[in-house]
Amino acid sequence: MYDVWKNVLAEIEQKVSPDNFSTWIKDTSLILIEDGVVKIGVRNSFYVKQLRSRYFDKFSSALKNNSVEFNDIEFIVQSDSKTKVKPHEVINSNEKVRERVKSLKSNKPLTGYENGLNEKYTLDNFIVGSNNDLAVSAAKSIIDSPGTRYNPFFLYGGPGLGKTHLVQAIGNELLKRNPNLKILYTPISHFYSDFVDSIQNGKGKEFHKKFQKLDVLIIDDFQFIVNKEKSQEEFFNIFNDLYQLNKQIIVTSDRLPSQIKTVDERLASRLTWAGAFDLQLPKFEDKCAILKAKAEMLGAEIEQEAIEYLAENVNTNIRDLEGEFSTLLLMSDVRGVTPLELIRNGAINVNKGSKMRSVSAKRVLDMVAKYYQMSVKDMCGKSRVSNIKTARQVAMFLLSKELSMSTPKIALEVGVKDHTTVMHGIKKIESDLKLNFTLRDQIEEIKEKIYG
Amino acid sequence: MEIKVIQEKLAKALNTVSRVATSKITLPILNNVLIRVDNKKVSLTTTNLDMAVVDYLPVSDSKDGVVTVPARLLAEFVSNLPKGENITISAKDTKVTISAGKYSSVINGAAADDFPELPEINESQAVTFKMSVEDFKNGLNQVIIASSNDLTRPALTGVYFNTYDGVLAVAATDGYRLAEKKIINKVESEVAAIVPTTSLQEVMRSISDDMEEIEFSFNEDLVRFRLGEVEIISKLIDASFPDYLKLIPKENDIKIVLKRDELMRVTKLAALFAKGVGGSIVCETKGENEFLVKSVANEFGENDSKIETIVNKEGKVTLNSRFLMDALNVMDEDEICFDFAGHLAPVLLTNKKNKDYTHIVMPLNA
Repeated sequence: MYDVWKNVLAEIEQKVSPDNFSTWIKDTSLILIEDGVVKIGVRNSFYVKQLRSRYFDKFSSALKNNSVEFNDIEFIVQSDSKTKVKPHEVINSNEKVRERVKSLKSNKPLTGYENGLNEKYTLDNFIVGSNNDLAVSAAKSIIDSPGTRYNPFFLYGGPGLGKTHLVQAIGNELLKRNPNLKILYTPISHFYSDFVDSIQNGKGKEFHKKFQKLDVLIIDDFQFIVNKEKSQEEFFNIFNDLYQLNKQIIVTSDRLPSQIKTVDERLASRLTWAGAFDLQLPKFEDKCAILKAKAEMLGAEIEQEAIEYLAENVNTNIRDLEGEFSTLLLMSDVRGVTPLELIRNGAINVNKGSKMRSVSAKRVLDMVAKYYQMSVKDMCGKSRVSNIKTARQVAMFLLSKELSMSTPKIALEVGVKDHTTVMHGIKKIESDLKLNFTLRDQIEEIKEKIYG
Repeated sequence: MEIKVIQEKLAKALNTVSRVATSKITLPILNNVLIRVDNKKVSLTTTNLDMAVVDYLPVSDSKDGVVTVPARLLAEFVSNLPKGENITISAKDTKVTISAGKYSSVINGAAADDFPELPEINESQAVTFKMSVEDFKNGLNQVIIASSNDLTRPALTGVYFNTYDGVLAVAATDGYRLAEKKIINKVESEVAAIVPTTSLQEVMRSISDDMEEIEFSFNEDLVRFRLGEVEIISKLIDASFPDYLKLIPKENDIKIVLKRDELMRVTKLAALFAKGVGGSIVCETKGENEFLVKSVANEFGENDSKIETIVNKEGKVTLNSRFLMDALNVMDEDEICFDFAGHLAPVLLTNKKNKDYTHIVMPLNA
């Protein structure tokens, strides 16, 4: 290919003046020949215009003389910064340029607008790990045969762990296999605001019909149904209708239905008929895998060590992990140093989210005691009364997690015998947290009070 | 080809276009200005193949034709002619005669055939904005200082025009500081394009007091600025600008308000002693009402200045004094907000009242 190009240039060189050759022709490059179109890379749009209007014939005859077959020649801007990349990538980058300038007029509404699905969520870019493999295999079985075994599919887990991603991916994948499926993805908040609107406009029946026609209904963030009794009733009816017709129903929430206040028991039990799947916090290896996949997707270069640093230090959720990751890449891009160097010279502080905003141990104890309506003095000590004991363990847990205090020091603060008691207390809360959503809420509320 | 025009008008137009005609490039015709008369429409054009300047010259009389003449020579000749003189330029083949009263000269031009054809904006696909020249000039002056001239990182050698939340903003960064100005508050089209700083400087130089409105249109790899009789066409930089909005710190909790001139003065004082350490100075809040600017002790000595202000939290940050002064120079209100969050987070500078302008300075490693 490149030899041919040299011959083409040599032939043109014979026909034009040296000045013109070195200005216009010399630095052009052959990108590729595709569908009979010869694509030639040039420096900028000034060159495109000039070459097309003054040198098109020369290129055309030189290409023919070198027995290149083609129907058309296209000149494409290929910037200095990118001349070294592989030919096929140049085409992509140029498409990006084309997207750069767009006017709203030509903006079509997103294709996924009506069904609420966003195409960027796919199963391919959902990283499977030990924290979510069960849920993913259930999702795959739904894609193969919707409305059968896992119906309804109930998915729960803390914020930023990928609930929305997974259920959107199911929707997208189903749609890909069968474009005629009627799928609707809606956060529960839209569901009840639409419901209220349609009731006000006297269109309650149409609202119900709209849902009855669906093949797949995906409801996100179900926990916000709290205190919306009418909407809940409507949802219950729609649920029953769809379920009886073997239509697939998918619901996500941050906790189990029985732990959402004011959810009707009948509905709660129906939602978990086919089991409840949870997404857990990823482990270190999972986090590394997520970051690696993400780096590959973005085509970004990042050292293994930098990935491990992030995986080790971001302990909240995947969303935060990805957020820190892109901040790091951005900083590295802007400042022209590698991510690892940035971390090494302390230009980026990953821990800031989870880091304590100067709160004293006393404040934590005060707030916990106040929350459980007892005095600090009662809470700290050896009382075995169950609620006092729980409060004490919560205090230990918070002192350890939020203030990063050592266990012997915590023992001293809460007045227990030694650090093993503290370790036991923290472990107890940790394991309870997985199952007991009331406790999770309580701890969140206490945290808010401490920092508020 | 022939045109008749008053000296001032011609001198001004030639002055605008001749800067772009460079002698650096291998193609000699690029030193020339193309003079084209087409049905009473007279245009002077120069290009350096990254950008082109066209000036539509109002003339009293003309005959169709086209020729190119060395731009610098013509510009200097015309600017030295007496003011108010009526000038006639006429061309026969490539010989160009310029006569004005008692003065007359013949310049050897070149045929217009070799002059490159300029790319044109495709109007149907273009995204166009209009705004007051003064706002444009002020806004660009405030961000251009932060752009880089490091050619190894092309994306940073330009100013990024981008729209978000219905606002058109311009931004520039060199990796150590970043400036953003929202120049139009309500736009309906979208754009994301990097305009080379060198082209923008040419636009800024072409602005004169009598101009009121500037119009700029973007195509996929071209931008055109129109102001008065001048039209400037430039390539866009084909690279992606960093997602800079994420760099603007949102969690800076040490917030103080300072008088701009006072901060400028103490920064200058500290900078005098900071030459040996690359201009690095320390800004610190202390107690309830002290803001300190210090230079670290070195061979020249040291400096320590205080400004009284309300302090909500104590903290310390090390900055490059030159970057701080650059920013203060282009900010426009008397009082400015100086927000930071310890020695790692970038410092955020804004005017106290109008928040259209954002300037951030990265801290130095202390």
